[in-house]
Amino acid sequence: MRVEEKLYTLRYKRDEEPHLRIINPQQCLECEREYGQPQPCISVCPANVYSWNGEKLILSYENCVECGACRIACPFHNISWNYPRYGLGMSLRYG
Amino acid sequence: MMYDVIVVGAGPAGSAAAFKAAKMGARTLVVERGSEPGAKNVSGAMVRVEDLSLFDVKTLPAEREVKRVRLVLGGDLQVEIKPKERLVNVGRLKLDKWMASQAESAGALVITKTTALKVTPEGIITDRGPVSGKSIVLAEGANAILSIGSGLRRDLRPEETVQTVKEVYSLNKDEVNKRFGLTGDQEGIAVRYLFQDPVPGAGFLYTYRDSVAFGIGVHMSSLISHRIRPQDVLEEVKRSLGIQELVKGFSLREYSAKIIPENGFPSWRPCQGNVYLAGDALGLVNPITFNGIGPAVISGGLAGEHAVNGECHEYETSLLRDRIISQSVKVRPLVRELLNERVMRNYISMATNLSSSWVSGDLSMTPLKENSFTLLKHVLLLMGATS
Repeated sequence: MRVEEKLYTLRYKRDEEPHLRIINPQQCLECEREYGQPQPCISVCPANVYSWNGEKLILSYENCVECGACRIACPFHNISWNYPRYGLGMSLRYG
Repeated sequence: MMYDVIVVGAGPAGSAAAFKAAKMGARTLVVERGSEPGAKNVSGAMVRVEDLSLFDVKTLPAEREVKRVRLVLGGDLQVEIKPKERLVNVGRLKLDKWMASQAESAGALVITKTTALKVTPEGIITDRGPVSGKSIVLAEGANAILSIGSGLRRDLRPEETVQTVKEVYSLNKDEVNKRFGLTGDQEGIAVRYLFQDPVPGAGFLYTYRDSVAFGIGVHMSSLISHRIRPQDVLEEVKRSLGIQELVKGFSLREYSAKIIPENGFPSWRPCQGNVYLAGDALGLVNPITFNGIGPAVISGGLAGEHAVNGECHEYETSLLRDRIISQSVKVRPLVRELLNERVMRNYISMATNLSSSWVSGDLSMTPLKENSFTLLKHVLLLMGATS
């Protein structure tokens, strides 16, 4: 089963304001040169939030399961991580 | 309104802190970012009932009593142990709601759907506005961005972080009983797996009443260096351990993920001025015993108690005096050793080689002899942790 299908099991309420942001997109090019593909943030993310289109990082923040791994994995500390506001984002039934 | 204690996060640590503070008569507020307590929280599904004794455990919403803990090494070696203490399988949403309701009964006010954004000298700022409080307990979990932002501790590094992914499969109670050899709807099982491929890691399986949780934890550094995603490791491990067979016909009900801090207190200070850290935010998980909720409740209770009287120093010493917490701290040097990929692979193959050669009638202890120095070192580290 693909991760995108697994994410259907979660209840999501989307925060229109992204809670994740790449601080400096240029840095991701350097990361790709140094670490190759997939880059560390892509490797550790369990929800395929990050993907590389050959030139830049595409960020699907609405898939995020809010574990916080990407921020720690980024060797350049280039990910700004905030919690979704007002109880938005994902909700669990079992946890 | 000026609160005596503001708690950030209604997980085990936060609710324990609020429960204790409110019991002591302090005006206590809990701010929870999820739509309800537990909505954002992930863990394995087992607790030691003794660790929760701060609360009234008679009403604990247990799913099943864990009568057997099974250890599976590399798929070939299985050991089963009857636990001496009372262990129960729990669902986090129910457990966390229960803890928060106990804090409410003690007099704390719990506000959900509210995210704390910043700690200030006067209290905290949330996405719904500022709240003033004399003491702040940050029980915000492993992804502790508020604690880090306030300069109370640094961020985790990949080499001290474990990434976990977990799936919950549901089916009726009878089928759960049948597949896991359980004699009734109250009886449960916990299984721990150690695997080597595609990267070394640990797995777990727990039984809810009408569902089963399976998950894995792998080192973040391994994911990065092997360029493999946790969800791909999960699928490969499910195949190699026969989990797919075990949950065949069950439907996937939930997919979740969590990071586990493998470092923290005492190298991170547990408080500064009127701000206290507890639970995962302070890095108190014991990875050897898989216990995170126990240290969270214990540290939360202590943080709540000392936050009421503004006793930062006393909080620190009380943490070190606690048996469960000091054990998580002392086990750190051993964990650092065992998290090394080579060491972990070595242990799994050694144990399976030894047992399979013993089964085929060979009593030679060659693998043990070859590794005697490493073994001795690790036994000494373990003795240091349990002394």
